[in-house]
Amino acid sequence: MRHVNEGYIVCRCEEVTGKQLEDAYLLGAITSRQLKMKTRATMGACQGRVCRQLVNLWLSKKDQCADKGVEPLSYRTPIRLVTFGELAGEE
Amino acid sequence: MTTESADVVIIGGGIIGMATAYYLAKLGSDVVVVEKGEIAGGTSSKCDGNILAIDKEPGFDSQMSLESQKLVSQLVMELDEEFEYRAPGSILVCESDEEMEAAEMWVNRQKEVGLPFRMLDRGEIRSEWKYMADDIHGGLECATDSTVNPVLLTYSMAVTAERLGARLKTHTWVTGIRLDPSGAVEGVETSSGLIRTKHVVNAAGVWSKPIAQMVGIEIPVEPRKGHILVSSRTESIGTRKVMEFSYLMSKFGKERKVDQLTEQYGVALVFEPTASQNFLIGSSREFVGFDMKINVDVIRCIARRAIRFFPVMKDIPVLRSYCGLRPWTPDHLPIVSRVEEVPGFYIAAGHEGDGISLAAITGKVMSECITGQETTISIEPLHYNRFKKEAGKR
Repeated sequence: MRHVNEGYIVCRCEEVTGKQLEDAYLLGAITSRQLKMKTRATMGACQGRVCRQLVNLWLSKKDQCADKGVEPLSYRTPIRLVTFGELAGEE
Repeated sequence: MTTESADVVIIGGGIIGMATAYYLAKLGSDVVVVEKGEIAGGTSSKCDGNILAIDKEPGFDSQMSLESQKLVSQLVMELDEEFEYRAPGSILVCESDEEMEAAEMWVNRQKEVGLPFRMLDRGEIRSEWKYMADDIHGGLECATDSTVNPVLLTYSMAVTAERLGARLKTHTWVTGIRLDPSGAVEGVETSSGLIRTKHVVNAAGVWSKPIAQMVGIEIPVEPRKGHILVSSRTESIGTRKVMEFSYLMSKFGKERKVDQLTEQYGVALVFEPTASQNFLIGSSREFVGFDMKINVDVIRCIARRAIRFFPVMKDIPVLRSYCGLRPWTPDHLPIVSRVEEVPGFYIAAGHEGDGISLAAITGKVMSECITGQETTISIEPLHYNRFKKEAGKR
């Protein structure tokens, strides 16, 4: 039987599974920033609103010392989704 | 605090430092990389990812990019992890007949030095780019330009270098460079101890100036800020890189026919489709020190410029914006050089917006220079001596 936890989705927007985080971790992505860069978790349409905490939680269960003293995942402008047109100031 | 030793210590874990580490480790050197943050934590992750000849001055500069393109196509086979490599070529588009004439001269000069450039007429632009504004006069193409994910390329060089024996010390600061009584390098002092070595490479990018000052050397490398916007996933607008021709004017600091803000912020269209089905939109160029905050006025200006070339973008959402600091030099060429006054001290920095493009060739020639081999290309034009008088005046 397939391992129950393998395919659960961590990042819905980019469809990143726990298995993908695990694989990236084993290849050396041991900070949340490296996990993000390798798997695209937190990089989708919601910009990590749903999965940022999950990624951090997953990592802290892997390694309680992970990310200590490391730059946390950033928040990027624009905070709400706008179109290029709205940003440009056009109707 | 510990003491260790290495053949070569590289300061900076960005793409230049990691390329140098990879090529040195491949030659069998015992390498340590000292990085104050994470691998690819600075400029190398706050940029776009291309190996371009199209925007290089015809001659030495563009040939250097062509060599880098060849090396990167080999890295696809050599490195342990993939990095979203593609080589679809890239194009520049012109807004006026005047630009078309300048483009033709650019193409002819590039062809003379053996690069695969050609002009594109209005019809060719239209058939490839169905969403491009229909008043575009034409453009030009460089067929060999390639694209990568710069962070994944840096990571891949890092893991491969590690497999070959390189040691990476992240979250470690350089506090000093130790010289022997004759003035030659004998070690690097870091926040976690001394590393004894006879060779140090300053690959610290926008932070390379204070590192050089540690050995009494002045280099004119200054941070130049650039903003980039990321679109949400969307129907494909185009499959390869496109820039406006006057990007070259912005890059080389020449006069352009654009509005005041566009000029002031150095805004020029750069469109880059990514492997993740979205696209990046740039670009801007500003000297504002080490300020890393997003300037909303600048990203508004970039969005306006993008819509001028791709009206369809008006309705496409912006996912996020980011900015990075590019290590500028006065003549737009990097410093890839030994420093005669301080035996054992080398500089590989100052690539401005060409760091991803030139990382492979920079790392390769640095490794050859340090191990006493003939370099793949002449690095005489990249010697730090060319700035000596100028830096002395400051």
